[in-house]
Amino acid sequence: MQLRLERRLEKTHAGHRVLVTVLSILAALVLGAVFLSLTGASPLLVYPEMFRAAFLSWYGITDTLAVAIPLILTGLAAAVAFRMQLYNIGAEGQLYVGAILGSWAALALAPQLPKPLAIFVVFLFGAIGGALWVLPPALAKAWLGTSEIITTLLLNFVALYLMRYLIFGSASFWRDPATTNFPQGKPLPEEAFLPVLGLTRVHFGLAVALLAAVLLFVLFSRTRFGYDVRVVGDSPGAALYAGISVRRTIVVVMLISGSLAGLAGAGEVAGIAHALDPAGLAVNFGYTGIIVAALARSSPFGVVVVAVLLGGLQNAGTALQSIPGGGGVPVEVSFMLQGAILLCALAGELFIRYRLKTRQSVVAEILEPTQQKSGSATTERAQP
Amino acid sequence: MNEAVWVLTLAAAVSAGTPLVFAAVGEILAERSGVLNLGVEGMMLLGAVTAFLAAAASGSPWAGLLTGMVAGGGLAFVHAFLSVTMRANQIVSGLALVIFGTGLATFLGNPIEGNPLKPSVVDFRVPVLADIPVVGRILFDQDPLVYASWVVVGLAAFYLTRTRTGLALRACGESPETADAMGLSVARLRYAHVVVGGLLAGAGGAYQILARVPSWSGAGTTAGIGWIALALVVFAAWRPWRALLGAYLFGAALAANFALQAAGVNAIPAEFLSMLPYLLTILVLVILSASSARKRLGAPAALGVPYAREER
Repeated sequence: MQLRLERRLEKTHAGHRVLVTVLSILAALVLGAVFLSLTGASPLLVYPEMFRAAFLSWYGITDTLAVAIPLILTGLAAAVAFRMQLYNIGAEGQLYVGAILGSWAALALAPQLPKPLAIFVVFLFGAIGGALWVLPPALAKAWLGTSEIITTLLLNFVALYLMRYLIFGSASFWRDPATTNFPQGKPLPEEAFLPVLGLTRVHFGLAVALLAAVLLFVLFSRTRFGYDVRVVGDSPGAALYAGISVRRTIVVVMLISGSLAGLAGAGEVAGIAHALDPAGLAVNFGYTGIIVAALARSSPFGVVVVAVLLGGLQNAGTALQSIPGGGGVPVEVSFMLQGAILLCALAGELFIRYRLKTRQSVVAEILEPTQQKSGSATTERAQP
Repeated sequence: MNEAVWVLTLAAAVSAGTPLVFAAVGEILAERSGVLNLGVEGMMLLGAVTAFLAAAASGSPWAGLLTGMVAGGGLAFVHAFLSVTMRANQIVSGLALVIFGTGLATFLGNPIEGNPLKPSVVDFRVPVLADIPVVGRILFDQDPLVYASWVVVGLAAFYLTRTRTGLALRACGESPETADAMGLSVARLRYAHVVVGGLLAGAGGAYQILARVPSWSGAGTTAGIGWIALALVVFAAWRPWRALLGAYLFGAALAANFALQAAGVNAIPAEFLSMLPYLLTILVLVILSASSARKRLGAPAALGVPYAREER
């Protein structure tokens, strides 16, 4: 008996896709268990503890949601670009620059403004920051064909050093003049603080993130522009004949992607840290956003669901360190598991695009061509 | 700047460029077979952390090097499985490799964060050659892995252009249909070269921890040089010797920090000097694509395209 892959002609059911995703996550947990055991931790103790820390208490759930806010936004940022076969993996850096400009707006403009307007301005500058940071790679991609993958990624490092310079390397506008020995960001004025849900860390950024998901859904499924994006992504040649400006579409999509990541940065400074805090921002929100978008297959609402799941994982990793049952498992366990989930999901993707067939069943189909299913498939293929 | 400083700077550039040499030559082999592996950074970081752990445990840097290579090769095997057997999107698979490799490396490296590594690679002065003025100090007063990287470059160049398997490899990257019709196993060639690429990326990561950085500092240990190596492959037009030259050019940018501080230039903040290699890489990529936008000089024609015999 020989196994062979056959491309699926019909669209797979949503249930089938969800099943494959769930199985991939389980496979990733098994893979993670191997590495946990290698370091002497017991997966049977760690996994239930992580689940409990992330989802089974009010405190845990709200913290998970708070982590999910930037992940929804960076996930959407990656998803927008994925839709067009563009790979913006610079969300990390765009988030930093969004945080830099967002905190500038909070420090410089917010005190003179009424609260709702102040918050709007902080988010606006965050979006502008993210968009500015993605603009050079977007222009290079659109006009010169420079691969956006490496350029967007390398700018992450540049943004990181820029942020460090503003706090650690100079007496900049962002640095708190009161702290000279251990430099910190200047505290933002209260006008710029985002409203929070009760005593939790869930802030107004959640509303912004959900609104962004709805707007993107409408943009992609209900507008001419969304259609153009799909055409350019699938076939730039066809787009050219259809009169769609490929260059303009690339730049606009990248700018939308960058501003979403910038919004995440603004939300973090105004909603969580209340200052420009390089250490608190550099926790891989941008990179995790890529996993979120890939697992959600670039669907805006899928991004929201997956962001909450991975947010829980990230939150659990942090919580494990302080829990006695955590057994000294480092916070990086969540990054390792996130990577494993993505790898397994990729392998699982195959079972969505292909079906596994044994050689015998292939032979049987050839011998009995009158069979209903294979018959209709042949006529379908015969059409031009 | 007096002479001694610039000589030391160039010597530092050679050392800083050596991880790039290993990684870039490995990536050239993988890409010549038609598989784009964006996971270099992940393989290097995993190679670095496992090299640290093995060298610290055994007391021998060579055991560290070997372990780092095996770890890099193992991760590359995952990419080969996903992109060749499972026909996954190679870009997404490569990114997954970076994210998983970084996550696993930082997870394994957590207990050794900030620890110095005792058994590091010791410099070896090549007799006679090291006594040549200037050149001797720059090229022949380095550690053995620098010399090994030249051997790797030479072997790779010879292999690609002068051997039958090298020819098969190039056929596989340019036109897998033709290679298949010639009776070559596209899958086997691609698996082999992706894994060899991973071994070399692992060696680059191991070199970084054994000879370059003083201690394990998480993802900052490699700090993006895997991505610079990827850009270097484009810069080198998929040719090993050009990759060697390019690696030293980028190595100079990486070592510039050291040089300017040694020369007493304090006008430029350290953070801006640290941005230099990344900005230089971006600039080089943009200029290259501007000058060769139409022909993508030297890129294997089937790069990044999964091959399935029944779907050609």
